[in-house]
Amino acid sequence: MKRRAQLAAGEAPVRMYHVSKSYMAGQYALQDVSLEVGRGEFVFLTGSSGAGKTTLLELIFAAEQPSEGQILVLGRNVARLGAGAIPALRRRVGVVFQDFKLLDDRTVEENVRLALDVIGTPRREARSRVFAMLKSVGLQHRRFHRPQSLSGGEQQRVALARALVNEPEILLADEPTGNLDPVLTIEIMDLIASAAVRGTTVIVATHDHSLIERYGKRMVRLEGGRIAEDIPAAGATVSL
Amino acid sequence: MLLRIAISNAVRGIRSATATSALAVATIAVVLMLVGSASLLVSNMAGILDEVGSNLQVTAFLATSLSENDERALATRVAAAPGVERVIRVSKAEALERFEKLVGGAELLAGLDSNPLPASLEIHLLPEARTPESIAILNDALDGLPGIDELSHGQEWIEGYARAVGLIESVATGIGAVLGLAALLIIANTIRLAVYARQDELDILALVGASRTFIRVPFMLEGTIQGLLGGALALFLVFGAYELLLPQMSQGLELVTGRVELRFFTTYEALRLVASGGGLGLFGSLTALVGWRG
Repeated sequence: MKRRAQLAAGEAPVRMYHVSKSYMAGQYALQDVSLEVGRGEFVFLTGSSGAGKTTLLELIFAAEQPSEGQILVLGRNVARLGAGAIPALRRRVGVVFQDFKLLDDRTVEENVRLALDVIGTPRREARSRVFAMLKSVGLQHRRFHRPQSLSGGEQQRVALARALVNEPEILLADEPTGNLDPVLTIEIMDLIASAAVRGTTVIVATHDHSLIERYGKRMVRLEGGRIAEDIPAAGATVSL
Repeated sequence: MLLRIAISNAVRGIRSATATSALAVATIAVVLMLVGSASLLVSNMAGILDEVGSNLQVTAFLATSLSENDERALATRVAAAPGVERVIRVSKAEALERFEKLVGGAELLAGLDSNPLPASLEIHLLPEARTPESIAILNDALDGLPGIDELSHGQEWIEGYARAVGLIESVATGIGAVLGLAALLIIANTIRLAVYARQDELDILALVGASRTFIRVPFMLEGTIQGLLGGALALFLVFGAYELLLPQMSQGLELVTGRVELRFFTTYEALRLVASGGGLGLFGSLTALVGWRG
């Protein structure tokens, strides 16, 4: 039984108001960033290295706390979350990284099942959900293999399956295709895009402009920790 | 469900990092072996002292005018005095018999008309009364009793015994404190290293929304299991050393203190050593997780 705080109708899952993050006095990784990402919206976050993309994602999944400003994720104020409330938020936010972050001493199935184990999903139900998830990323036949025996693209698909198996409301991806060749990149991006189609809010940090052009989604460009550009999805209407 | 996952994660942790786990178990075993050996040594020394202490006695020499019934009545009164464990009456005839046995000939006494040795009471002391202070109290209680001619209590012996007991107790406390602290620090650090080696796992679990308890319990179980294994290994090693050294030690001690019986841990003490390994392992893993932000 999932008990999740419900968002009010029309309330954006990610809302940032004048958010700054500073690791050293006077030096900002993010500065005065205000951003809203709606339900089921797909946003590319781009910018050069050090522009603040990763910091912005870390603030959303509460790996970091803002130095200034407010961040509301799924209706919860991240700056005010106690240590006990952070896990509950993370169960609603799937995260994928460039380096996959898989556990080498566990099988593909066990890696994906981690997200269900932590919420106490019964073993039988967990296995069937993991199987369905692995099938959707085309890896059901590899479920008893260890991550080291998989290709880079396959490992990222496992990481994606782990991020999505708990049906998160938000999916964050930090350079998810940074280690992959162009064919695998499209394969992974198609899977991520399909999550957005099913209603998951997706934010993908990338510096690959060919991807941004190919998918024609909203693009937020960071520069020196500030939002330099926020271009809506191709064909989207913008109200000013 | 969560407990089952925690146990399986703990076992997986030990199996996946065999070398680190083996190092932790070996460290705990070596440290507990030192603690166990020291405690066995101290408890045996205390046992030897206890044996010596039980032979300490106060002797009350009785007036020759007392009848046998008077002697018995006096013995009963003496037995009620503070710190007395038991009283043995030695009659004049028994005293003579002992003298003959001790000195080896009746001819020394052959010229005497009557037995010159007085009857006496051998007063054995309770363990807690084997101190100079208690002896003084007993002395005061017996001194005025009619029928007692003289008290002999080997005050020097008692003082020496009390000093030896005090020394053993201080040494045992000191060694116990130092070794215990060393054990705690070494074990905490060993398990801390094992936790650091699996930082990625901790980070990934935190990433998928594992609660602090979900993440910590397997590490705590792992530490406890390693501690129990270390404790059991230590017990085995101490037993091996005991069996190996027992013959030589017994012979050496017999020369000094007379007949002694050395003993190994009782079942309760053995279980306590193993359990203290588990406790140290648990504490080590707890301290290793202190400050971890996950």
